[in-house]
Amino acid sequence: MMSVLTGTLSQRLANWARVKSPWVTIFNSGACNACDIEIIACLMPHFDVERFGILAKGSPRHADILIVTGHVTLKQASRLRRVWEQIPEPKYVIAMGACGASGGVFHGLYNMVETVGAVIPIDVYVAGCPPRPDEIINAVVTCLNLLKEDIAHGGKQWRQKKELELPTKGTKTGEVTV
Amino acid sequence: MPEVIIPIGPHHPALKEPVNFKVIADGEKIVRLELDISYNHRGIEKAAEQRDFIRVLPLLERVCGICSHSHSTAFAKGIEEIMQLEIPPRAQYIRTIVAELERMHSHLLWLGVAAHEIGFNTLFMWIWRDREAVQDTLEEMSGNRVHYGMNEIGGVRRDLTPEQVNAALVRLPHLEERIKKYVDMVNNQETLLIRFKGIGKLSKEEVLKYGAVGPTARASGVDYDIRSDDPYLAYKEAPWKVVTDTHGDVYGRTIVRIGELEESLKIVRYCLEHLPEGPIRVTVPKIAPKGEIFSRYEAPRGELAHFIRTNGTDKVERIDIRTPTLANWTSVAMCLVNQNLADIPVIVAAIDPCLSCTSRITVMNDYDRKASSITMDELRRQSRARFQRAERL
Amino acid sequence: MTNGLMVDFVLDTMKEFGTIEQIRSNRIRISTTPDKVHDAIKRSRELLKCDRLITISAADNGRTLELIYHLTGPHRTVISLVIELPRDVPETPTMSDILPAGIYERQIHDLFGIFFKGNPNLEKIILNEDWPDNEYPLRKDWKPDPGKFYGGIKEERI
Repeated sequence: MMSVLTGTLSQRLANWARVKSPWVTIFNSGACNACDIEIIACLMPHFDVERFGILAKGSPRHADILIVTGHVTLKQASRLRRVWEQIPEPKYVIAMGACGASGGVFHGLYNMVETVGAVIPIDVYVAGCPPRPDEIINAVVTCLNLLKEDIAHGGKQWRQKKELELPTKGTKTGEVTV
Repeated sequence: MPEVIIPIGPHHPALKEPVNFKVIADGEKIVRLELDISYNHRGIEKAAEQRDFIRVLPLLERVCGICSHSHSTAFAKGIEEIMQLEIPPRAQYIRTIVAELERMHSHLLWLGVAAHEIGFNTLFMWIWRDREAVQDTLEEMSGNRVHYGMNEIGGVRRDLTPEQVNAALVRLPHLEERIKKYVDMVNNQETLLIRFKGIGKLSKEEVLKYGAVGPTARASGVDYDIRSDDPYLAYKEAPWKVVTDTHGDVYGRTIVRIGELEESLKIVRYCLEHLPEGPIRVTVPKIAPKGEIFSRYEAPRGELAHFIRTNGTDKVERIDIRTPTLANWTSVAMCLVNQNLADIPVIVAAIDPCLSCTSRITVMNDYDRKASSITMDELRRQSRARFQRAERL
Repeated sequence: MTNGLMVDFVLDTMKEFGTIEQIRSNRIRISTTPDKVHDAIKRSRELLKCDRLITISAADNGRTLELIYHLTGPHRTVISLVIELPRDVPETPTMSDILPAGIYERQIHDLFGIFFKGNPNLEKIILNEDWPDNEYPLRKDWKPDPGKFYGGIKEERI
């Protein structure tokens, strides 16, 4: 099993830099702005996330983690997909708040896509409306742990769900086999 | 005449997002402005017709994340007037306390963002650190830093214990001292003065002609303030005054907002010290009689207008929300004419846009259509470079 | 504090435009018709000193579409001018020459389909560019058609 510290020198350096200082980009896909203000509050002296090396960068091409706020409106859907495609691998997506999980209060409105998960694959969900800055920092750290695990397993594929093989012979419905 | 197409993207100005916009320009002057606000359109007005009065309040709170209490209070007071309910004074005072604390947190937010737009990041950090005191108070009172959920039709949902009142009163002197320091800074610091004075000027006639509201209008001497024009909640009893200024430019708007910070602090202190005893809600009928009401509220950004129509069921028939930023966009469009490109971030930030209502601005003129690309970051860099050059002179 | 407008004064000035009633201590409602509303607004600006437009609200009451213009002035009284438009051809002259109504009229045109004659720019402002024409979401009889494409993404995500 590989860990962060195996591989060539450049690979080790890149992995160490990603884990120690992830750069984040934020995309507002039709939110009420509360989540965005809480993210900015993370960068401010009270919570001060920059001392951990986490920077909020504007461009998706420089980022490791994408934070999506809000429930995706019809207009922002294609733009969100394009932004996600521009982020280089390995990339992680955090869907913030109730809007990211299921739509929150905006579930079912006429100008919305089903869920954020219908547009891009999501790795971490954060609960709250809006989530507190501490919870946001916790989500970024969870992403970093995922990143470490993925490096150890050599990529993201090990987390994909496999097709379940159901037993076909010898059991009738309702019968339990031990 | 040059032609400039500038989409300023669906993000708060403080976020460093590069937004591509076409500069169709020969020089640097702007001529016309065009709008496209479809990024954040969520269909809330239609959804509010299908939810009853208990379920619609959390939806309306989340129209905007910075002025959420404004929307829910404007709606609640409108429905209460249709139902002809008498709200107990303790509930009115608690609503006022939360409303003024929200105004303080919003103005502090704006002040930090304005400082960030001109490159004064230290002030940005200091102000947002002081803003946390307001957020802590709100969290103790309501349980959440944003989207407090204090309102229900007929009163408030939570009461204030004496410990909460004392904890809030203890925080106020420190905040007052910091605000005095910011007043002093705005009045005497050369850097802020150079960058804000003369930019985005609107005369009194222009304000009335273009329908500007809130601190944008009060900075030009127009003293419309719904808290005194059409008093509601506890504003008739608390001692406060409307803050106006005559400069009319971004500097004037800064003065007005800081003045309002001081007034809000006075109102909060008065309401906390004179909180009346009594119940916090009344029983409410399930359905509202048929009626129509035009409920206005002074949100931190200006006048918020809810036009509500009920039809004898437990849902509204129509709610039409006019947010203050929508009213201010026309005046921004007009005061950007003949200004420099580099002043766009400051002027747009000066109306304190709540971007849940707006997203894109395109400035257009019909002359020749040459196009080149420039990013918002580049504009900001130009804006800060100009300010540094001015400082060195 | 300036004194509010008295309803008798409003009655004298505006009585030929329609019915006038006072529904609240500082709100007076005038019901008029689409052809007279432009003159009514002009007169309220000059004689009633209403120099500020608060908003233009639109509503669908099942039978007709209603437009309400809310004006106010230094007297702090709100004058609401109400007109009704037929559903099949909702047209009315624009007020953007005397009031800053451009942005509200564009929004109402997108959401209700009311056409403002003389408005120089009635492009889409609040609905996205893929939204099909003649679909007005805030009308009471509108339901999203599952066959049409209203925006969003067409391709499946990987």
